[in-house]
Amino acid sequence: MTKTIAAQAVAGAALSLSGLHKRYGEIRAVDGVDLTIAPGEVVALLGPNGAGKSTTVDIMLGLSRPDSGEVAIFGKAPREAVLSGSVGAMLQKDNLRADVTVGETLAIVAALHGRPERAAETMRQAGIDGIAGQKCGKLSGGQKQRVRFAIALVSEPDFLVLDEPTVAMDVEIRRQFWQSMREYTSRGRTVLFATHYLAEAEEFADRVVMLRAGRVIADGTVAQVRSAVSGRTLRAVVPGASADQLAGLPSVTGLELRDGRAVLSCADSDRTLRALLAAFPAAHDIEIAAVNLEDAFLALTSEENL
Amino acid sequence: MNIRYLLLEARITLRNIRFSVFTIVMPAVLFLIYCGLWAGKGAAYPDGTPVTASLMVSMAGYGAMGAAMSTGAQIAFERGIGWQRQLRLTPLSGIGYMLAKGALAMLMALPCIVIVSILGVIRGVELDAGQWLTATGGLWLAVTPFAVLGIMIGMFASPDSLQPIISGSMMALGLLGGMWIPAAVAPEWMRNIMKVTPTYWLQEVGRSAFAPKATLGVALAVLGGYALLTGLLAARRYVTDAVRV
Repeated sequence: MTKTIAAQAVAGAALSLSGLHKRYGEIRAVDGVDLTIAPGEVVALLGPNGAGKSTTVDIMLGLSRPDSGEVAIFGKAPREAVLSGSVGAMLQKDNLRADVTVGETLAIVAALHGRPERAAETMRQAGIDGIAGQKCGKLSGGQKQRVRFAIALVSEPDFLVLDEPTVAMDVEIRRQFWQSMREYTSRGRTVLFATHYLAEAEEFADRVVMLRAGRVIADGTVAQVRSAVSGRTLRAVVPGASADQLAGLPSVTGLELRDGRAVLSCADSDRTLRALLAAFPAAHDIEIAAVNLEDAFLALTSEENL
Repeated sequence: MNIRYLLLEARITLRNIRFSVFTIVMPAVLFLIYCGLWAGKGAAYPDGTPVTASLMVSMAGYGAMGAAMSTGAQIAFERGIGWQRQLRLTPLSGIGYMLAKGALAMLMALPCIVIVSILGVIRGVELDAGQWLTATGGLWLAVTPFAVLGIMIGMFASPDSLQPIISGSMMALGLLGGMWIPAAVAPEWMRNIMKVTPTYWLQEVGRSAFAPKATLGVALAVLGGYALLTGLLAARRYVTDAVRV
């Protein structure tokens, strides 16, 4: 019974990854990833460099074959999903041909999808119809990104995958990019984007999936992931305290000490504070704050905390 | 075959000045220069092959070979920058991609043959319809192994090494194959070296239209052998490449 329900959930899912493993020699790039994304979700795949984000993205698109595990996009194998046009992707690298114009680039992709009329439409959608005649080699970084975004939209995919879409974009271009993304997702499309910008995950994703060393270490809404790292951060100037002394305070889980200024991660900040003031009456400029996503990210992704 | 894709790629290739100069303009100009140097009216090599027609086949063959090879080899570039990965997210299959590149390479081999042949007519080459068919259409089909060779190079080369490899191969194949020094006037030992190259036999196919002692059968066997060998190497590389990426 349980199995049937699970199977139904997977069958209705936009994306379902189960037991994904991929190693390159000694390195386990993906080490047992399970992930189900429901239609309409906007999910951020968050993690430091080398966490396995790009490998996971490649596998779900069928660009790389997993050593073991299953991938289904709307219940279909990646290649079938590509053939039916239900998945579109913006890959990480600048992969545009420098001597080909923007218009030709989209015309080629549209022709290969058997939908030549989509070339002009997607250029309008991505706001690049004004530069259709320019060669891709002459474009700015932001323009290139938009061309690659347009390529991903050609087949009108219900599931859009973006691998580090805004890397190397300046702030304004990034804002515009997410603006067009919002327009796209407002029509109920599913999006998965890999990023290492926490602010983007926080602002644009309904759900955050954190990867570290090829594994999912946190999965939930931004609020849930934040609370997964229990506790708070205590900051104080503590004259004369050594790192060992501070680390020995009750409930301290992490410590950073620079020029007498300490940042303590605490499971129970009240207890830590009482002990701190008892041991170091001269401590001052004390601040206590709930962890933000960045702290959660650092706590969850750093090796030391495992 | 996706005709729209093919035509878009053809337009992009022809727009490349370097490509057009090296594979169309240069062979045409060389043909006219060589004609001025060696081809007096009714001139013939010792074996009776007319000089102008022979030069026409050599230069048309040279340009067509270069066009086919460098077009096929563009695979290296598209692979290197990651464009091929983007194409794998379209319904175009891996095999379909290579067939499209092969078809494009053959298509790009045509302009040089057409232009040099027209210049041949202007320079007084006279052939009957069947002979023209062999000297142009036959020559064009004989370019196939070079399209395959280009694809094979494209499967192995990196974007940076591509240009030197293509230029070097064209130079070597042109020189050793007797496109620069006609085989008919070359010493015996040199002619023996020439007969190992596919370029010698490419010209032999075109020349079989009018040469008194052409060996078309051997030419087809050698060219077929080269096409098969390079094709197998490319296919092998394709399989290992697919596993790696």
